[in-house]
Amino acid sequence: MSARHSVVIRLAGESGEGVISSGDILTQAAARGGYYTQTFRTFPAEIKGGPCMYQFRLSDEPIWSHGQDVDLLVCFNQEAWDLNWDSLGPDGVILYDITEVTIPDEYLPRARPVRMEELAKEIGGSLRAKNMVAVGAVTGVIEFDTTPIEELVLRRYAHKEGVADANIAALHAGADEAADLKGRYPLVAPVETEEDRMLISGNQAIAVGAVAAGVKYFGGYPITPASDILEWLSVRLPQVGGLTIQCEDEIASLASVVGASYAGAKAMTATSGPGLSLMAELIGYAGTAEIPVVIVDAQRGGPSTGLPTKTEQSDLNQALYGSHGDAPRIVIAPVSVEDCFFATVDAFNYAEQYQVPVILLTDQGLATRLEVIHRPDASKLEIVNRKTSAGIAREDYKRYEYTPDHVSPMGIPGEPTGMYVATGIEHDEYGHPGYTPEIHLGMGHKRWDKLIPLKTGARQAAHGEAHPTDVAFIGFGSTFGPVREAIDRLTEQGLSVGSFYPRVLMPFPAEQVIDFVKDAKRVIVPEVNFTGQLARLIKAETGIELESVAKCDGLPFTAEAIMDLVTQEVAA
Amino acid sequence: MSTRKPNDFKSELKPIWCPGCGDFGVLASLYRSMADLDLDPSQTVIVSGIGCSSRLPHFASTYGVHTLHGRPLPVAMGVKLANPELTVIAVGGDGDGFAIGAGHFPHAARRNVDITYLVMDNEIYGLTKGQASPTSLYEQKAPSTPFGNPEDPLNPLALAISAGASFVARGASFNTKALTELITQAIEHKGFSYIDAMSPCTTFNNTQESWKESVTEVAPDHDVTDRVQAFDLALKGGFALGILYRQERLSQTERYRAILEKAKASDVDTMLDSFNARKGAAIGKPA
Repeated sequence: MSARHSVVIRLAGESGEGVISSGDILTQAAARGGYYTQTFRTFPAEIKGGPCMYQFRLSDEPIWSHGQDVDLLVCFNQEAWDLNWDSLGPDGVILYDITEVTIPDEYLPRARPVRMEELAKEIGGSLRAKNMVAVGAVTGVIEFDTTPIEELVLRRYAHKEGVADANIAALHAGADEAADLKGRYPLVAPVETEEDRMLISGNQAIAVGAVAAGVKYFGGYPITPASDILEWLSVRLPQVGGLTIQCEDEIASLASVVGASYAGAKAMTATSGPGLSLMAELIGYAGTAEIPVVIVDAQRGGPSTGLPTKTEQSDLNQALYGSHGDAPRIVIAPVSVEDCFFATVDAFNYAEQYQVPVILLTDQGLATRLEVIHRPDASKLEIVNRKTSAGIAREDYKRYEYTPDHVSPMGIPGEPTGMYVATGIEHDEYGHPGYTPEIHLGMGHKRWDKLIPLKTGARQAAHGEAHPTDVAFIGFGSTFGPVREAIDRLTEQGLSVGSFYPRVLMPFPAEQVIDFVKDAKRVIVPEVNFTGQLARLIKAETGIELESVAKCDGLPFTAEAIMDLVTQEVAA
Repeated sequence: MSTRKPNDFKSELKPIWCPGCGDFGVLASLYRSMADLDLDPSQTVIVSGIGCSSRLPHFASTYGVHTLHGRPLPVAMGVKLANPELTVIAVGGDGDGFAIGAGHFPHAARRNVDITYLVMDNEIYGLTKGQASPTSLYEQKAPSTPFGNPEDPLNPLALAISAGASFVARGASFNTKALTELITQAIEHKGFSYIDAMSPCTTFNNTQESWKESVTEVAPDHDVTDRVQAFDLALKGGFALGILYRQERLSQTERYRAILEKAKASDVDTMLDSFNARKGAAIGKPA
């Protein structure tokens, strides 16, 4: 069999069996070996029990989606087979635990039993090493160098005598299990490069991006799937002189962030949909008092408690409009794990420049998936700091002064010239309460007109034809990757295809969207929600004709599903 | 000696309170206390919520944050943590602090946030025209309790002591000298200091005369360091003015300073390097 550029592996079992850690360890080993990887996982919302799944794709080339057709499916138990058999590609092979799983006859020719539980008990005396037998079996089929895995196991269990040895023995035993499948998927070896690559999740990229932007205060409340930002910054912020605090709820989280920013610190919180709902009133406050804050929303399945561990893009409306009154804000949606880093820097820069709340929208898939990315060069970042009252004579100081760019110097406590009272009540240029028509109209303009430059001046994302004649894709956030991969394949087929992804969704780049679609026969708007929130926004802002593809099953788009959207139409 | 006078802390805005409102007395006491302490107005931040009393920051010539209904405490915490050099005073009413904002109160107390919280307690909602508040008395008639308030009032002092406030006192707007002294001690206190300032609403719940008649002073032999005694006194009811409880305990600021001192200095490049794919980035765990 000739060497391939990519392989998709899916591990499935019961939560608690080590499925996720097996996936993590294989992903780490692949990254160490120089492969590009992208992962996708689902797990139950409960701590113990329930089905979980870890899929990862590896390639010698950069990859943009987690893959659809599974080449190697590893089933830890019967339910794993029952729930995942339909993900198998036409040539996909199956590894399954010999004692736990029964495979239908028609699949037996491409299925191999692995003595996961038997070998684990034999070697380690318990079922604990079951997942390492599975990892070993995978390395056998893929012909994967196991040295990095052994190193990782040694490091992980360095403090537990015997455990590392048992795990490594289980790994080797597993590798010999499906001996006749050895080399079934020969992979093109990765090109050796000196370049720095990182293996990082979206949440981690946001956290380190915040540090790069100069964050000094983080207030948060635990919520899936955003908690690792809180946890990561709890360790890291004190190392750069900042503080992370776990608050009593999301209201207190954003309230404390508002207070810290008022006092001069760059400040951030991170949450998911339910938390963003609780923060709505404070978003309006920060917009009215003109206090820069950054709010990360790692979207999960909604509405209400919804699907806490599944992915969805259904908080767009809330991010755009949540809060009473005409509450200004900037909404930015990174399109990849790498972009999570840069979008976070942008979010802080926008917040500081425009003195406004910035909502950074990711989703469970993007937030938790691991991806190999190019290491950002922090020294090349442009960092924006707010305009302050420093240097202004005290008698002349007006906190909410009307200026040409509608942004006024902000007084920072400790600065003798800038004393003022921040307030959510309508106010005049001094910040004094005032309700006249002139004041309300003037301040309304100030709050919104300052954002106008971003309608055309924000860094957006795009791929393929700048003015496609066949199909134009418009989307936001994590669908960028699968759409990009689909565009490359469709272009190879001779179609004129391109995508335009507004990273900044509020204020909306209507002119750029209208220009992008001007020659396109079809405009397709894929998004992961029920009501087509982005499609509605685009229609309202531009009036263009489009096809809304709103998919709401708790799963992300695959490149193949995007391809189907185009070819189905061709077939019809 | 202080060089600042109470008038130095007045802003150009005149209070919008009704004639006779207790909040005038509280504001006057606060001005005097800030002058006595010689606070630098540019290093002082007064944080409030929403309600009649929460307009207070607008009447002081310091930095101020007039926040949302119920949210002065977490905002004040953020201000203090971001810049521990500042003197931070949170103010508000009983509805702001003990109805909509009650969820924040015990946490500010247990964290020992290094701020002063001054509640102007009039046992009524004034700004919305006289509805019952969480400190309104049982059977009190109000527009929202036409058959008499069916609920028992909350006891803010007992709540403060039980939740871990390290300075708990009661003052009264009509006794400005004593209230000034309490505010001064509260601001000087390291940690979360809570003052319940009885501040009658002359428009919707005029308790001024009855309160004046009922106030007493905390007995001279009361041991302010004894939490059980303090709790007992708080539960007894009545209106004993003075300090009920005082405790020396590490403030939130000091605890976070210790965390900062222990942290190993790092920078963004080191953090990026910790994710290096070739060196086996440790997934999920910050190194």
